[in-house]
Amino acid sequence: MRNFIKNKYFWLVLIVFIGTFWLINNTSSERHNISVLEKMIRDAYTPLQSGVVEFKENLGQVNAFFASKQEMHQEIGRLQEENQRLIMENQVLREDKMELRRLRSLLGFRDISLDKYQMVGARVIARSPNNWYRNIVIDKGTDSGIRKGMAVISPHGLVGRVASVSRESAHVDLIIHREIAVGAIVQENRETQGIVEGLGISQNLRMVNIPYYSTIKEGYHIITSGLSESYPKGINIGRVKEVELQPDGILLSALVEPSVDFDKLEEVLVIVNYKLSNDEPIPE
Amino acid sequence: MGGYTILRYFVLGFLPFIAIFLESTFFRTYSLFGNVPDLVLIFVVFYAFLNGDNKGAVYGFLCGLLEDLYMGRFIGVNALSKGITGFIIGRLQVRYFNENLLVGLLVVLIGTVLNSLFMLALGLSTFKIFNLDTSIISASIFQSLYNLLLAVPIYILYYNSFQQGLLNSTGER
Repeated sequence: MRNFIKNKYFWLVLIVFIGTFWLINNTSSERHNISVLEKMIRDAYTPLQSGVVEFKENLGQVNAFFASKQEMHQEIGRLQEENQRLIMENQVLREDKMELRRLRSLLGFRDISLDKYQMVGARVIARSPNNWYRNIVIDKGTDSGIRKGMAVISPHGLVGRVASVSRESAHVDLIIHREIAVGAIVQENRETQGIVEGLGISQNLRMVNIPYYSTIKEGYHIITSGLSESYPKGINIGRVKEVELQPDGILLSALVEPSVDFDKLEEVLVIVNYKLSNDEPIPE
Repeated sequence: MGGYTILRYFVLGFLPFIAIFLESTFFRTYSLFGNVPDLVLIFVVFYAFLNGDNKGAVYGFLCGLLEDLYMGRFIGVNALSKGITGFIIGRLQVRYFNENLLVGLLVVLIGTVLNSLFMLALGLSTFKIFNLDTSIISASIFQSLYNLLLAVPIYILYYNSFQQGLLNSTGER
């Protein structure tokens, strides 16, 4: 034992162990900023990861060039049909929107529609390199006005929140990440409130703290309530798959299937002028 | 330090760098039921198996640290688990049968199981990293299978390079 303690390698290993545990502990909670070394490593990866996305896009164009004419005609026909339907729908919705604005201003209500927010489009260039975390990397960083804590959405719904930023890229924690919690309401009955949490490895979400008298049921849509500091109100989160009574017997919880398919996510929008959870100034 | 040694260190550093790049892009597209292989671990295991415990521990620690710095959370978790895995695999170093592919596959399997256990233990000690449900076990099983599949071509290339290529520490070819 005495020889063991006298061994210089023993002390070296002990110091490394203590130092590493200290580091794990210090980086386990949310950090305001990442270190210069981390930024440098991430910025070294960004051009490579962007290159892969560009290569895939070019490959897609080459494939489209060689696709049969008949298939292309069918696709164009289908898209034209969908376009006509969307134009009609858009016309009706535009009228509704104008009416809603007039009524809101008459009643003195605040405009909560998403289109008042400034958004920055970004491409998904990489995903988590291991199975323990659930995040994506986007090709926009501080240079494009992205800051930690900003909400990230896609046309299908809520994607997640910016976890850390380097100059040219940002890591986004997905809402299925177990550290993310989002204030939510049921779109259909508007009265059921709860918190949607990620389950970690599973692709589903869980809405908790729902009062037992709530009329929530399978198939209902869950949207953001606007009560979280990071997410504006009215963003689609997912659809209720299953409702069950929590072990305490007074609250319900619901299994929610996200409206976003995170494995197929290619482009996202970052909301850059919503109030931020930290004290950083909101970019102009 | 000769030019040859510098080149060897460059290759040893380049392998985990490129492994993280592939894991975050290519292998995410071709995942096994949503699970990606741990290429960094495969390189750590092979290095440790062919170079011994002390070198294996240092290489594992540095490779894990690179992964942690890229992820930016819980920095040190991968460094510790891969460092200890590298040390244990290095203890298994055998002199006569390491050219056998099956031996190579066996150490990758042992390495993946050990690394998963260490990650789980570190996760439990911080109580923050993972949800303790059965999906962790299935994720580890799928990762072991994927690692084994990739270990076949990688071990052949790695072993050849270790014997007479860039990864040969003596410089003899």
